[in-house]
Amino acid sequence: MTEFNLKILTPEGVAYDGMVQSVIVRTTVGDKGILAKHEPYVAALVIGQMKVRTADGVRIGAVSSGMVEVNDSGTTVLAQSFEWADEIDVERANRALKIAEERMKQYKDDKRKLDIAEYKLKRAVNRINTASDYKR
Amino acid sequence: MASGNMKDIKRRVKSVESTMQITKAMRLVASSKLRRAKQKAQAARPFFEAQYALMCRIAGETSNFSTVFTRRREVKNRLFIVIAGDRGLAGGYNSNIIKLAEQAKKDGESPKIIAIGKKAADYFSKHGYEMTAEYPGLAEHVKTADAADIAQTAVDMFASGVVDEIRLFYTEFVSPLVQTPAELEVLPISSPKAKIAAPNKMGTTFDPSPEAVFNRAIPKLITSLIVCSVNEAYASELGARRTAMENATDNAEEMIEHLSLMYNRARQEKITNELNEIVSGANAL
Repeated sequence: MTEFNLKILTPEGVAYDGMVQSVIVRTTVGDKGILAKHEPYVAALVIGQMKVRTADGVRIGAVSSGMVEVNDSGTTVLAQSFEWADEIDVERANRALKIAEERMKQYKDDKRKLDIAEYKLKRAVNRINTASDYKR
Repeated sequence: MASGNMKDIKRRVKSVESTMQITKAMRLVASSKLRRAKQKAQAARPFFEAQYALMCRIAGETSNFSTVFTRRREVKNRLFIVIAGDRGLAGGYNSNIIKLAEQAKKDGESPKIIAIGKKAADYFSKHGYEMTAEYPGLAEHVKTADAADIAQTAVDMFASGVVDEIRLFYTEFVSPLVQTPAELEVLPISSPKAKIAAPNKMGTTFDPSPEAVFNRAIPKLITSLIVCSVNEAYASELGARRTAMENATDNAEEMIEHLSLMYNRARQEKITNELNEIVSGANAL
């Protein structure tokens, strides 16, 4: 299968840089699959999973919002945070989930704080799901 | 009199010595922290650059591109985001960046302030500025969530017209010895079109539209801009502190040298005096 270059960049550094066969990302308008020689494409990403197929198999990772860009030199994912499923600290995600749930009850009337808590909740749920998908 | 003088000098030497111990320790702490801070500052850079380049491309590819974030309007109110340190004893680090922000302000203008770092917060609230938000103790372990919070506040203020321009003040980390205070225009994004040589017409598809992607990406761009500059400013702070503490240690050493010379001289004088007394006493007999 034709391969293409995938880069995953986060504020902490370069999370991945290598050749892959396909990528599936979750954009604001739904899941999007990318193969080699895809047309130039830009979209915003929401919290979700990312599936990457390489010659060695499929890996999944958790993305919390960002952007994806495809051009002729390859695909670049700019993510606020990214972890491969096997790197996720599930205990920490569970703790974050509990805190976020409490916050959501606490800040019922404060829209901004509620939004932040909701974002954290979604992110924690996404991490937990991604990690458990990996185990299956 | 001579013995009293000697006691004084001895006490001063002791006090300078203990100060030197502190400055020495601070220098060591700063230089070990500096190494990690430098790495962190450099790790964040490719992400930010890629993000900024992408934003420019989006704006460049569509001919009639215009959103609230690129349009310039008459400037009535401004927001300054100032990044300084949480602690002093870092040479001119804190005062330089505050000075730069003060200079950037026009006559009679009173910008709204988001202060990152205790020193910035203290200064601007004491001088009667309108504080939009304060974030002391953020710099050492800056979290994306905090930066996102700041970015969202700033973007909301700009989009709703509370402010018409946002500027960021931080200290650029040139090298461990050189740090320069810098000013950045955050919003409106200064005509990204001008920044690219030739708009590439690759016929990129945008999901769902260039403007939608752009507007969604703006808070994220500013978030990582803040993370980057806070990391860089923190590395600068440590660099400045290391230099300052090194100088202080050197000065202390010099001072001790000078004081021990004085001490020896006083001692000599005392001995000479005593000898004189003995000799003249013997002569008188």
